[in-house]
Amino acid sequence: MAFNFIRAWLRTIFLSPYRLLRALLPKYTTPSRYFEETQVASKSSRMPKFYHDDEAWADMAPLPQDDGGLHPLAAIAYSDEYSEAMGYLRAAMAQNEFSERVLGLTEHIISMNPAHYTVWLYRAKIIAEIGRPLQDEIAWLNPTALKHLKNYQIWHHRHTMIDALGSPDGEPEFISAMVELDSKNYHVWSYRQWLVKRFDLFDKPEELAWTHGMIEEDVRNNSAWNHRYYLVVGGREGKPSADIANREIEYTKAAIRKAPQNQSPWNYILGILRAAELPKSTLKDFATEFADVQNPDHVHSSHALDLLADIYAEEESSKEKAAKALELLATKYDPIRANYWNFRKGLLDQPKVAA
Amino acid sequence: MAPTFFQLNDTQLNYARHIKYWRRNLKTLLPHFYTSNDANRMLLALFTVSALDILGDLDAALSAEERQGHIDWVYSCQLPEGGFRPWPGSDFGKLRNEENRIWDPAHIPGTFFALLTLVVLQDDLEKVKKKEILAWLVKMQRPEGSFGETVGVDGYVHGGNDSRFGYMATAIRWMLRGDLAGPYQGIPDIDVDSFVTCVRSSESYDGGISEAPYSEAHAGFTCCAIAALCFLDRLPLPPSSKPDGVIRGVSNVPKTLHWLVSRQTLTLDEDDGLDTMNDETDTSETCHDAHTFVKLGAYPSVQAKSNTKGRPHIHYELEWVGMNGRCNKTADTCYAYWTCVPLQILGYLDIVDRAPIRKWLLDKTQHIVGGFGKVTGDPPDMYHSFLGLMVLAMFGETGLQEVDPALCITQKAKRHLESLSWRRKITGMDKAQNGTDKIQNGIDMAQNKGVSLAGDKTQMDA
Repeated sequence: MAFNFIRAWLRTIFLSPYRLLRALLPKYTTPSRYFEETQVASKSSRMPKFYHDDEAWADMAPLPQDDGGLHPLAAIAYSDEYSEAMGYLRAAMAQNEFSERVLGLTEHIISMNPAHYTVWLYRAKIIAEIGRPLQDEIAWLNPTALKHLKNYQIWHHRHTMIDALGSPDGEPEFISAMVELDSKNYHVWSYRQWLVKRFDLFDKPEELAWTHGMIEEDVRNNSAWNHRYYLVVGGREGKPSADIANREIEYTKAAIRKAPQNQSPWNYILGILRAAELPKSTLKDFATEFADVQNPDHVHSSHALDLLADIYAEEESSKEKAAKALELLATKYDPIRANYWNFRKGLLDQPKVAA
Repeated sequence: MAPTFFQLNDTQLNYARHIKYWRRNLKTLLPHFYTSNDANRMLLALFTVSALDILGDLDAALSAEERQGHIDWVYSCQLPEGGFRPWPGSDFGKLRNEENRIWDPAHIPGTFFALLTLVVLQDDLEKVKKKEILAWLVKMQRPEGSFGETVGVDGYVHGGNDSRFGYMATAIRWMLRGDLAGPYQGIPDIDVDSFVTCVRSSESYDGGISEAPYSEAHAGFTCCAIAALCFLDRLPLPPSSKPDGVIRGVSNVPKTLHWLVSRQTLTLDEDDGLDTMNDETDTSETCHDAHTFVKLGAYPSVQAKSNTKGRPHIHYELEWVGMNGRCNKTADTCYAYWTCVPLQILGYLDIVDRAPIRKWLLDKTQHIVGGFGKVTGDPPDMYHSFLGLMVLAMFGETGLQEVDPALCITQKAKRHLESLSWRRKITGMDKAQNGTDKIQNGIDMAQNKGVSLAGDKTQMDA
């Protein structure tokens, strides 16, 4: 136990320069030149904007928020800036004004509250009404998306714009910049899938090459593996050819050999087997490279043991080996899931329910 | 063999601090950084009152006048045409008209959280425009079965097509008409079969459920989908039941269970993740490339082998087990909720060890001022504070009320909803005391045997 302490302490020390660096570096450094042209002033350096003394808004009476009586729930200490801007937004929406000035107002609201679901719909309508070029809207969206990585509405808006524009040009570059900030961002990957489908990029070699690059960069990026599955299996209505399946199996085996304790490719290869209607036992020899129940001190992957347990469970005469694999998982190689491995062991005696 | 001074430091829920945290959220303005959640105020409202209800403090925290005032506030968000907005921010007051109400539409999460907030505050829901909501729900469903967030005047359904809105829509349906299937007083039912089909098409190759077909499996979407199937009584049948020919999900329970238990992780913060990235352990020679493996492969637990129950002695590193939302991601408080709830609904919560998860929440993400943060060392926020508390209540933490985790309310609040006379009429509960309550069945299933593990062919053959 003392060893654990020393280990933890050493780790803290060795990690501290990294921590320091992380604290010192600006949170979002501009990831590429792509955004430099459209980079807007960051939130902190922006001066608050008000409308009441602005000539351009003199004709509009703001509509203050009615917070619904004396006992509202979850009332927020709004800034004066937000309260006032929301008052003008309500007034503008109430009279269905579509103009350049309200376009700017929606941008202002989005910078403070990007989850305002109708401000986006309103903005889309304004763009259509005033005939704003869609390219201009996309140019504005790029840095906005960077600031609000986890916002749902932004992506919905982007779908609408790109769909109307009818071309994916520039989008791969935009996505690359986004994944540099967060390589597993769910929205970005979902958006990429939408692009592939909308513009039928399934068999475009660049798409698979890009996915391969992402996997090379981080073999544990499950989003990248999932995207590969989308291209390989989803693009073929769930049925990859034998050649494609073999290619994918070999590709995945190489990735597993690099890092056998990485669950993403194990899940992927099993997915490919299923889609190609091949039995799990296809991988028996391969899994045995990493885990052999006869040699329990030299297990290199809990996922290999897990798979072997399944393969043995299917074989009539190997129930004992399956039990042994599950026991090794429960006691030594994956004890955080001991309850589950023991549960699986209990199932061995029941007829045919293996995963 | 855990270090003794950790044992002295007894892990516990800081009950008083949590009450203080939630009372502050109830009684004072939320800090301005919640502005980005302004359009989710109804969710924050539910979390506030429901957290205090779970802590057993709601009655003490509210005077009769305050309680009524909060109920009135929720109703102030009800729209003339039915349904709720999730905040007062889109209300045009007297200026609201046919032309501008598209910017102030009824909202699925707004309606879901408003109804629940009213239930927790013990309102009778008599003033809720129930028929209007049920008719609107039908319009919120897309042809392929999914639900959206709002619907435009042209009938276009806005919002994502993931299971979040399906979860809320099916919960609204259950709250307002129980298990009744088919038309009710001339209002058609949602298309349950197409929704189930939609969920099944979002099952990923690894057993989790994703946002849409072929998207990446995600614990949040998995939880929402499984809870929705439960509200619709469309989970796989228990092993003893005969197939009934009804389409059900999920299609492969063992695979989904495998995915759910795989969410347990020892990668509790970003620095843990570094172990798996750049250091010398990341080679096929050592194979110590994943954090779990680094910690465990190197230090096998001797006790584990001699333990007769097959449950290994808790290794030092195993005292805290976190949960992540996707494969190869870091632990996060909210994923304890998103992962454990579907396990509980399916009837297999026992296949995870609750003790180290509880200990992780209490030792690592519980905050000294009350509430929970997202990861170790984070300040508390209402979202993680509520979901963390909900998990502990679901685990049976002493001092917390019993909960229905899928509905995010206490069992007491749920019983209140079920006792309402208008609802008893619809569900037929006022006639037959032994009417089948499917949600209760779900819980019975959870406590007894769980859904069938058999492939779903047996469910579909009949």
